[in-house]
Amino acid sequence: MGLFRTKAIVLRSINLSETDKLVTFMTDHYGKVKCVAKGARKIKSQFIGSLEAMSYIHLIYFGKENQNLFRLNHADIIQSFQSIRDDFHKLYMGIYFNELVDTMVPEAHREEDIYHLLLDALETLKDQSNVEPLCRMFEMRLLALSGYTPELNHCMVCKSLRGNGWVGFNFSKRGIVCGNCTNQAPPQIKFTTGTLNYLKKLLTLDIKCCGRLKFPKGLDEEIEKVTHRLILTHVGRELKSYPFIKNMAAVE
Amino acid sequence: MKRPQAVTDLVDELKKLPGIGQKTAERLSFFMLRGTTERAEKLAQAIQNVKAKIILCSVCHGITERDPCDICQGPNRDHTQVCVVEEPHDVYVLENMGQYKGVYHVLMGVISPLDGIGPSELTIQQLKEKVEKGGIQEVILATNPNMEGESTAVYISKVLKPYPVKVTRIARGLPIGSDIEYADTVTLLKSLEGRSEML
Repeated sequence: MGLFRTKAIVLRSINLSETDKLVTFMTDHYGKVKCVAKGARKIKSQFIGSLEAMSYIHLIYFGKENQNLFRLNHADIIQSFQSIRDDFHKLYMGIYFNELVDTMVPEAHREEDIYHLLLDALETLKDQSNVEPLCRMFEMRLLALSGYTPELNHCMVCKSLRGNGWVGFNFSKRGIVCGNCTNQAPPQIKFTTGTLNYLKKLLTLDIKCCGRLKFPKGLDEEIEKVTHRLILTHVGRELKSYPFIKNMAAVE
Repeated sequence: MKRPQAVTDLVDELKKLPGIGQKTAERLSFFMLRGTTERAEKLAQAIQNVKAKIILCSVCHGITERDPCDICQGPNRDHTQVCVVEEPHDVYVLENMGQYKGVYHVLMGVISPLDGIGPSELTIQQLKEKVEKGGIQEVILATNPNMEGESTAVYISKVLKPYPVKVTRIARGLPIGSDIEYADTVTLLKSLEGRSEML
């Protein structure tokens, strides 16, 4: 029986029984971890308030090293990201980030880079007013860190890039296709080299500086089509929280 | 020796109830077996009545035996004040307090993106129609102070913004009898934000 101490971000918290909660964490040292928080639903529980989704906490839990479900021992808030929860649009964006990580990261695999990506994304989301570039950047970075970086530098077929102002993108090959090779790998989407440059920036620019990135009108939808479809191709289904970002924005 | 089938059936059915495992189900089954026939019949009748007689109130969506419910047609109730709660049982939690004299509106859940529950699955439209009709002065949002409850409260306040109605949120903060030393930062922050003036 081991005692584990780490920093963590709460990904999801669901009611397990009358008084208990089942909480999924993205931890610094141990990857994605699921813990039972005994008595967490009681009004005087020590965990109350610290197990809300997106909370950044000091976490102590125990259990056998190879088991799937641990027991929560202590949770202490480092940062609650309350300002994200207070803003409708940011809240659903944060939930989308959490769902993406929860879906794409397997349990008990140390994924330090993804943990830091999520933490940086939440830090940026907290202060950012224009959240769309952040969302696109998060999708691309998460794909890259999971080992599914799209090929944006040369054609997937001829390995060169002879652009005529536009390029195609083949989602099954996960890369761009030049105008001469569309017969060998038919592209599902075509976009301008301007969009291609923005997609490259999404992979290289520091996520904390994403406020500097502003998509020209018209290109934002094109970029969203590429990044989100890449996610859909990888995950194999639409994420539950994604339609909420669009629907709830209409209420504002 | 094998346990009689009738007892096994009862144990299997009781096991399906929340918080009841194999041992508890067996204990309850043998308790019923030892007791009088009258007690068993009363229990069976009570379970059947709950399913047969309880309906949802067409006005507030709370549980009731007659439509509209006693609260909605109560003459001593303040119909200008509507308290919005998540589930039908929340109505009785607030009623136990004995201080609230307004009426209720049950949402039948909360907006939960990860469970795929959106505003259209709840009774928000019916609440909006109620406010549109007029006669309501205050809507009290008493959803749970967790992420889903908070976001649902924010959503409802935005939906009701165009109407001349006061929208309030129940206070969040420290529970009575707790110790400030053990309170987390979010709870403390909320309790400071919701502080009230002393005499």
